Parts: sequence; C-alpha cells; structure tokens
Amino acid sequence: MGKELILVFIAASITNNFVLTYFLGICPLIGVSNKIESAVGLGLATTFVMTMAATVTWLIYNKILVPFDLVFLQYVTFIMVIASLVQFVEMFIRKTSPQLYRALGIFLPLITTNCAILGLTLFMVLRNYGFLESVVFGLGAGVGFTLALVLMAGIREELVFADVPEPLKGTGISLIVAGMLALAFMGFGGIISG
Amino acid sequence: MIREFTKGLWKENPIFVQVLGMCPTLAVTTRALFGFSMGMATLFVVVCSSVVVSSIRRFVPRQVRIPMFTIIIATFVTAADYFLKANFYQISKALGPYVPLIVVNCLILGRAEAFASKNGVGRAFMDALGMGAGFTCALVVLGSVRELLGAGSVFGYRLMRDGFTEWVVMILPAGAFLTLGLLVGLFNIINSKKRGAVRAG
Amino acid sequence: MKRIVSGNNAIKMITALLAVGILSAVSLVFIYQRAIPKIEANVREETKEAIESIFPGAAKIEKIEGKEIFRVEDAGGRLLGYAFPAEGNGYQGIIKLIAGTDPDISVIKGMKVLESQETPGLGAEIDSKDFRAQFAGLSIERPVEYVKNRKPEKPYQIEAITGATISSRAVVTILNNGIREIRKALKDEP
Repeated sequence: MGKELILVFIAASITNNFVLTYFLGICPLIGVSNKIESAVGLGLATTFVMTMAATVTWLIYNKILVPFDLVFLQYVTFIMVIASLVQFVEMFIRKTSPQLYRALGIFLPLITTNCAILGLTLFMVLRNYGFLESVVFGLGAGVGFTLALVLMAGIREELVFADVPEPLKGTGISLIVAGMLALAFMGFGGIISG
Repeated sequence: MIREFTKGLWKENPIFVQVLGMCPTLAVTTRALFGFSMGMATLFVVVCSSVVVSSIRRFVPRQVRIPMFTIIIATFVTAADYFLKANFYQISKALGPYVPLIVVNCLILGRAEAFASKNGVGRAFMDALGMGAGFTCALVVLGSVRELLGAGSVFGYRLMRDGFTEWVVMILPAGAFLTLGLLVGLFNIINSKKRGAVRAG
Repeated sequence: MKRIVSGNNAIKMITALLAVGILSAVSLVFIYQRAIPKIEANVREETKEAIESIFPGAAKIEKIEGKEIFRVEDAGGRLLGYAFPAEGNGYQGIIKLIAGTDPDISVIKGMKVLESQETPGLGAEIDSKDFRAQFAGLSIERPVEYVKNRKPEKPYQIEAITGATISSRAVVTILNNGIREIRKALKDEP
C-alpha cells in the first residue's frame, strides 16, 4: 500500500507532470510565471486547493453521485465544489492570516479556472483511485504544478537578458521553453520502471 | 454585426492572440480530425452559453454571476460530451477527459463575462460564433501540422512519400508546445508585415 | 432600510442560483436518458468487433450469465474459446483490453487494446499489429513473461516493445491477472 502511494505521488508530480504531459494549467504557466516568488505563491495555493478538491470530490462522487445514480451531474458538481472551495479557502486565509492573504490573495480567484484542478478530479475518477490514493494524487499533482511553474519562472527571469527574435517575444518563446521542459521531463520516464 | 464575427477569426483569435484555452488546444491536436472535433464541441458550448447568458443577463444578480455562468457552461459541456459519446464514440474516446475540460476553457467564461453579459442576443451569438470558429481554425492548423510531421498524413490522408521518417516528437507533448510557439511567431510575422504594408500604402 | 435591501438581495441571489441549478439538472436528466442506450450499444458493438478480430470464425458471441466472460462459437456451434475484458494501470493511465483463449484456457487466441493513454509512437504500439501478433498462439500453461531486446525463446514469452517496457509489462500483467480470474470463474463451467 505504501509503495503504491509513493508511486502515485511520483507519477503525478514528475513522470506524468500535469503541466508538461497533460497540458493542464498552461494559462498560469504562460501568464503568471514571470517571477519565481509569485510562482511559488501560486503553486502553494494551487497545491492546497488540489489536495482539498481531490478529497472532497472523491467523497461526493463515490458516496453521493454513484450510489444515487447521478453521475450525469458530475461536471456540474465538480466545478461547483472547486469554485466554493476556492472561495472558502480565500475567506479562511483572510480571517486567520492576513499576511498569507496578502501574499496569495491575488492568485486565489485565478485558481477556479485553472484546468489542472478540474482535470485532476476527472483523472481521479477515470483511474478509479481509492480515497488515500486520491489525496496523494492531488498533493502530487500540486507539487508537480509548482515545480513546473517555478522552473518556468526561473527560465523566464533569465530570458529577459536573451536576444529573442522579435515575433517570438512573449507567448511564442514561453511555449518553446515549455516544449524543452517537456522534453527534459520525458527523461524521468524510466524512474518508476523499478 | 459582421465585425463581431470576423474579429474572432483573426484580430482577436482566441489562441494565437489571446492565448486562451490552451489545455485542449495542445492536448488533442495530435491529429487534425481530433482538433476539428474539439473545435466544434467548443464552438457549440461557447455559442449556446453565450446566447443563454445574454438572454438572461437582466435577471442575473452581480454577486453570483460567475457561479451561474459556470453552471450554464457545465450543462452544455455535459450535453456535448454525451452527444459525442453516443454518436461519435471513437472520437470521444480519443478526446477523453479533454471534453469535460471545456468547462474550464477560459475562452468560454471569458466570452460570457466580457461580452455576452453586456450585449444583446444577436451580437453575443455572432461574437461567440466568431470566437468558436477562430478557435476551431487554429486547432485544425495546429493538428494538421503535427499530424503531417508526426504521422505523415493530414485528416488521415497520406501526404508524405513512403520513405518519410515520422517525427514522433511532434505527437508528444513537447511537439505541441514547440509547434504552437512557432505558429504564434509566424502569426506575429504575418501581422507585422500586414501592418507594414498598410503604412507603406 | 439597508438591511431589508440586502435581505432581498440574498433571496434574489439564492433563487437565481437555484433556478439555474434546477434547469440544468432537468435538462441533463433528459439528455442522459436519451444518450445512455446509444452509448451502451456503442460499447457492446466495440466489444463484439474486438472479439471477432480475435476469433475470425466467430458466429455466436454470448455473455455468460453474471460473469464478464463471453463464450465464442463458430457457425456450427462448436466452442472456439472464451473472450474476456481486463484492465489495469499502464504508463499514463488505465489500459483496457479484450483477450481470447481456447476452450481449455491453455493458449491465448489474441488480444486487442480497447483503451489506453500510452505515449504515441512508443507505448501506444501495444495496439500495433506486430505486438498483437505475438499473443496469437501464446501458451499460458505458465504465466506470460516478457523479454527485452531479444527474440523470445519459450512459448510463453513475448518481446517487449523497445522503449516501452512499462507499457508492455502492463499488458502482460493485465493479461495474467485476467487469465487467473477467468480460470477461477470458469471452474464450474462445463
């Protein structure tokens, strides 16, 4: 059981990195990640919401939707759960730690439309994960997302000094850099052959 | 009215200019056909939800507009998903979880919030149709390039001669990023050429 | 005064949300009920085609009551073997496949992948003709094994796809588990 969980974690965070192999959460990758600091902030907030979302949607899906034959409401419920979760997290952080809120606050609303979170819950259902696996899957996916975001931000901080061809400035070069990162991450593929 | 339609095709193209809805764009364009199907599903959802949002815009309380729009979008996405599963089973299997992910395609919520909730039904319809068409075109272009280089064909028709070595990387995730990056660059070159021509004329 | 207005507002918000929610649920029920029979038919059709590709002479495919196993007979009513679906984790997600065995469950007749999310060009080759051909006639007196980068020597071995060992091993594992299951399930069949 323990080994299984570690495998799920490594797969979600590195070998099958959400951003670089499933293309989930590209918008923040291209849009936000200009500074390492904000990348870390957004990454942490997302990781938190992902873990929570995996936990809550697993319970709702397996304890309510499936037993009552309501699977066709899956997408509507999942997106509502994620939206309310984000709202709740925002209120909670604002009440308990204004400092943390100042650091993360602006990112929180962005998280709802981050496809990585809905994607996570959908993959979780598709793969038939058990409860613990789902929680670990959410955590791993969040860590992987943070990793990709921070790497990207680091590269882009350096890119400012590079001589990028005029038409590729901005989006173009970001996408190409992401492509290189994706290639590099394929190298991790052998890790779990063990 | 016509301008609401055409702006989505080029000047405000959702993918090349606004860089919205990246996940499905990159994930499903391993084949031109998949890109086209995803484009049509998105077109359906963006048009339907824009029309609905625009026609109920007077009854929507400001504070809860985003959740309401999201429910509307998720409903149409579920409908599209079941339609594909029932009538185009193989395509639906190939697109997999990326059909439900249309829910969080920023393009759709973006159009509902920025345009449909402020404009009449007719204009909202034209706007959504243009955005959906622009999205579909971009997906087909991306899918064609990747399929041509990665599998030697376009829409399943073999175009490369038999000895052609397929560039597997084009079908892999990395190829998606590289192709789109270069296409965005190409788009910018064409645009700046056009601007230059206008100035010279 | 202000309070009343905000109270009204709250009611308005809740009614609006509820109305949208109910409308959405009702229309989805309607769509779901119309789509479900078609989707089920699609799945059945796909299973049937897969079984026919494994057993070329198949004329009658019949699901055994209460089990996920199909009896396959030819036009003369002779038992060709059993087909069974099996699934498990691959490299990037779940792999679903259908496999067929002879009536004694001693030889595999063939295998067809129904669903996988493996890497195109590498892992996705598990559904290629060459890889699938290795399974036709494969002995399952012992659990199936895979070998890397050389031709298999034993009748129960297959050669893994170069660069896609994980996907190949996943298929072998899924297959072995499936065979164990069907042996158990068919113990009391004639």
